[in-house]
Amino acid sequence: MRSLSMWLLAILVCGFSFPKAAAQCPARPVPGTVVSDPFSLSSQKGVLSAQLVVARSVDSFGYTHYCYKYDNSGQTIEAPTFRLNPGDQLALNVLNRIVDGGAMKMGMPPESGPVCGDGGDMTVDSTNVHFHGLNVPPICHQDDVIHTLIQPGSPGFKYDVQIPLNEPPGLYWYHPHVHGFAEFQVNGGAAGALIVEGMEKYRPEVTGLTERVFVIRQQYLVPWIPGPYQLTVNYQTTSLLGPKPIVQMKPGEKQFWRVANATNQDFLLLQVPVNGVPQPLEVIALDGYPLVKTRNQKVILVPPAGRAEFIVQGPPAGGSATFETSAYSTGPTGNPDIQQTLATVQLTGNGGVSAPAKPPAPGAAGNLKFANLAAQPVTAQRKIFFSEEFGGTNGPIQFYVTVEGQKQKVFESNEKPVIVTKVGAVEDWVVENRALETHAFHIHQIHFRVMEVDGKPVTDDDLRDTIEIPFWDGKGPFHSAKLRMDFRDPTTAGTFVFHCHILLHEDLGMMHKVEVDP
Amino acid sequence: MRRVSSFSLVRPILMAGLFLVSHFGVAATNYVISNDDAPFPFRTGVSFYAIGSNGLLAAPQQVFSGGNGISGGFFGANRLVALNGGGQQCVYASEAGSGNMVGIDVNTLALGGTAQGSPTDAGTSNGIGLAINTHYLYASFTDSGTIGTFQVQPGCGLTFVADIAVAGLGTGIINGMALHGNMLVATYTDGSIESFDTSHGTPVSHGDKQYSTATFSTMDATYPNSIDITKDGHYAIFGNTATSVVVEVSDISSGKLTKTTVYQSSASISSSNIRLSPDETLLYVVNSQGDSVSAIFFDKRTGTLSGGCTSNRLRGQSADWSYLGGLAFVSQTGNGAGVYVAEFGGSSGIALVNLTSSGHKCSLQEVPQSPFADPNAGLLSIGTFPPRSF
Repeated sequence: MRSLSMWLLAILVCGFSFPKAAAQCPARPVPGTVVSDPFSLSSQKGVLSAQLVVARSVDSFGYTHYCYKYDNSGQTIEAPTFRLNPGDQLALNVLNRIVDGGAMKMGMPPESGPVCGDGGDMTVDSTNVHFHGLNVPPICHQDDVIHTLIQPGSPGFKYDVQIPLNEPPGLYWYHPHVHGFAEFQVNGGAAGALIVEGMEKYRPEVTGLTERVFVIRQQYLVPWIPGPYQLTVNYQTTSLLGPKPIVQMKPGEKQFWRVANATNQDFLLLQVPVNGVPQPLEVIALDGYPLVKTRNQKVILVPPAGRAEFIVQGPPAGGSATFETSAYSTGPTGNPDIQQTLATVQLTGNGGVSAPAKPPAPGAAGNLKFANLAAQPVTAQRKIFFSEEFGGTNGPIQFYVTVEGQKQKVFESNEKPVIVTKVGAVEDWVVENRALETHAFHIHQIHFRVMEVDGKPVTDDDLRDTIEIPFWDGKGPFHSAKLRMDFRDPTTAGTFVFHCHILLHEDLGMMHKVEVDP
Repeated sequence: MRRVSSFSLVRPILMAGLFLVSHFGVAATNYVISNDDAPFPFRTGVSFYAIGSNGLLAAPQQVFSGGNGISGGFFGANRLVALNGGGQQCVYASEAGSGNMVGIDVNTLALGGTAQGSPTDAGTSNGIGLAINTHYLYASFTDSGTIGTFQVQPGCGLTFVADIAVAGLGTGIINGMALHGNMLVATYTDGSIESFDTSHGTPVSHGDKQYSTATFSTMDATYPNSIDITKDGHYAIFGNTATSVVVEVSDISSGKLTKTTVYQSSASISSSNIRLSPDETLLYVVNSQGDSVSAIFFDKRTGTLSGGCTSNRLRGQSADWSYLGGLAFVSQTGNGAGVYVAEFGGSSGIALVNLTSSGHKCSLQEVPQSPFADPNAGLLSIGTFPPRSF
């Protein structure tokens, strides 16, 4: 979207007219202070039990925050990091205590199938949890987002998620996924990290390194109106003109940074300039999947919902460094993703508040899910494309993701799956972007292997769960990626979704169902 | 040889003049006109640009109306119409922020009248489109999904008559409108199109609501946006929002819409605003996201489109403006000789693109002096006075 005047108008008209909510969410860190890692909860004897309370408040600047609250012996923690080992159980109780979701009281009927949770209409006050990237079943009480609704005031909803024994170690994240309203709740707030331990078994380069977890969020004053936005690092704002968050390192120290892009729609182009010169970052994992072989990159593109894990070396004594995201063009009709300094690196004698190195996770390295996927025989090929209808200055009004040969339509909760396959299938999907803005393709329940980009073979053997498909500039062929989808695991049986992870697009229907029959 | 008195010579001229005044109005100064569409707290109204030599525009004279615009919205909703008939010379503009329809007397550049629809009529998100004949002004309210009927009054006034609720076959919102005789044609944002009988003022559907052919038959997301109708009322032409140039033509000679025929070209992106040249030999297309203008040859006997030309990207895209909006002709005769095009953005302007053509070939070239600055940021709808004759 390219209009700036409409958001100004909208803010004038609407932005300050929302009912103020009590300060249900914890106070956010003061800008310009040292960034702390999120509070961590680790599994004990194979189980991680926790209760999260979903709440909402509006801060003094008018930003609406939804949040996950955890009570740590009387201290309220926001969005703790869950740490589990493969084979562990996550027993999570979620209470919806959202009070007064504001003017957006419109509701949409839920899926007509089985009710999971409280049922009722999907509204901005409804919530649920998606465990983004986890390769777990799409069923009630695990990672279903189609049927599951947790309504305000309900007694609570229990998630019981078993981390597969062969789950790739890495960084995942959790966030609300009620269709039509995901953006509202993720906007600057309800999102947290989830780590499957054991990276050092597959990428020994990280052994003994100080580990940092950075969750980058994005907040708009009015979530559905593009305009100025703020990024936050572990909830500390990265204002353009004000003081920057501070990350502490020892001179020359190597740290293992685990970065989740939990923004609504910002494509992050991460880099760490030292004395103004971008340094090589040793990439360890993408989207929670360890790379077969590490590689050095000076810039790492992380689409919305993607994750990047990499080793950073601090500047020598007397040097300076920053943690940056560069400007990224999302196309003629996309939103501008501007350059921002996410943090400045402060050299200290002891590495500051960085978390200490952890002991290795139990067990030995085994074959991970999706191993050797590139060599598997393909059972079906499909083409899927993003497109938009764009009839005015307020941006596109219809967002489609369509299986070639089918009618373009927006997602409806009662729709039939647009793709039906079965357990055991291995499929190649060519995902193409025919729109004038970049989209971020994401599928639930599985990772995919990137086989080709724009028709050219990819040899990196990366497995991803979210990937950018660049915009079409009006000339030449559409950009595309060929993705190998792995439905061999019986736990994929069920119905789940694929969509653009620009959350506004997902909420407006750029999403459809895939059914995997047993 | 019988001497002809001077009076006998003058009388027919005077009679003809009186006829012209009563039916078409006195030919006022030529203007390019624009709907300022300025949102609160800015003043809005209509800007009148006197046309100088070679089509160059002077600084505008603004007539403020007291209402508010919204600075944006649908491309296909024409927010400004000119009336040159029924003894009146008026420009009517919609103000979506305040919900006003305002009339301005072109000869005095004074505000004539202001009217509003029903309390529920609203177009605050995407604007209010207009279509007019000598008796009625029709307003498409894009939020309430209604068409309001206003009766044209002397002195460029209006009185509200009634409104009707309209919607596409799916979830479409009313978008563009065009009027020919007693036939009003409308587009919806879901790709539906529909026509109405206006012989009794308030529109009554012809029962011909249907999806356009391109909505489902092309790969790209596309749907009809703006509309034009041939002078003889034989064809309705639709300019589509699309990732290419897509125009659809429906034979309406039966009095109803028929299945549209699709014309598609990869010359540019989108074709949200269209307008037939005065002689109906060319269809001008504004490529609202391709940042260019196209002209396609039109055969008014068969309703077919062919060939044509596309300009280079107009100057200032991205730096000064972000979208192209509506268009108006350089000349109200012949092939139009080119177009003025509204540029929407922080530094709105009006571009001047000249046409040269020979046989079945043409070229479109932005003149060196273009664009002409517009005092407002939200320019989408422009026109000329006098307007095209049909």
